[in-house]
Amino acid sequence: MTNEELIEKLKLIVKPYVKNDEGFKNMDENTDFLNDLKINSANLVDVILDVENEFDIIIDNESMEKMLNVKAAMEIITTKLSENDRQ
Amino acid sequence: MTGNDIVDIELAAAESNWKRKGFIEKIFTSAEQQYITDAITPDKMVWKLWSMKESAYKIYTRQFGGYFFAPQKFSCIMLNETSGMVIISTQLYYTITITNEKYIYSIASTDKSTGEMLLHGCFILPVMDLLKQQQYIYEKIINRYALLTAKEKKKILVWKNESGVPFLYEQGNKSKTPVSITHHGSYAAFCI
Repeated sequence: MTNEELIEKLKLIVKPYVKNDEGFKNMDENTDFLNDLKINSANLVDVILDVENEFDIIIDNESMEKMLNVKAAMEIITTKLSENDRQ
Repeated sequence: MTGNDIVDIELAAAESNWKRKGFIEKIFTSAEQQYITDAITPDKMVWKLWSMKESAYKIYTRQFGGYFFAPQKFSCIMLNETSGMVIISTQLYYTITITNEKYIYSIASTDKSTGEMLLHGCFILPVMDLLKQQQYIYEKIINRYALLTAKEKKKILVWKNESGVPFLYEQGNKSKTPVSITHHGSYAAFCI
């Protein structure tokens, strides 16, 4: 999966929780879920659960701690997917 | 030092389905999950514990910096219906939670008594966009603070630092006063 494809998938996942459409329009690697998209922090759990379901991965607490922006989410997804492939 | 967090009950019910698979396990420790199971109104217990964690997070990051999402690390202990404690690593915070039909509001403090709090307020927000609501809240805070300290409103400013943490600044005065602000749906609150 290319980075562009990954961002597109993430956009679909976060869309229902976004409160700032302007931030969503410009969503890229540097976008922060809370500050830029104004996603409320309880919905961050939904984003994490939706990511787990979509990519069939498990996001442990240590990874979840960093999952506050698009860049971190992409890194975590890529790492977890490669771990799945090795199994 | 204080931190606060408010949850609009109606909006929380619309925004979050805490009963969805995995949700509770991501946020709450097993002891907290037991509080929820045992509660007469589990919905309110979910948001009570959540607001306790969030209010403690606000103090913790003011003290030590950082930006992270680790709700399980903030472990809640309920002392009674309203009072509790939140523990993260070696830190202990005391909490008071107000629960009614409209909102759940927690204030966390580094001190056992919230008596050191200079000023706090909780109010209904008019319906308007998020940015205007923020301006409305800032004005409320400035008005109340100016009234209490007999300072000129024009010279007081609410400003967030580079980590997004809000402070009150006064023109011609280098010191800054920490202010914790929370808003969700129709409700907002602040404490100084």
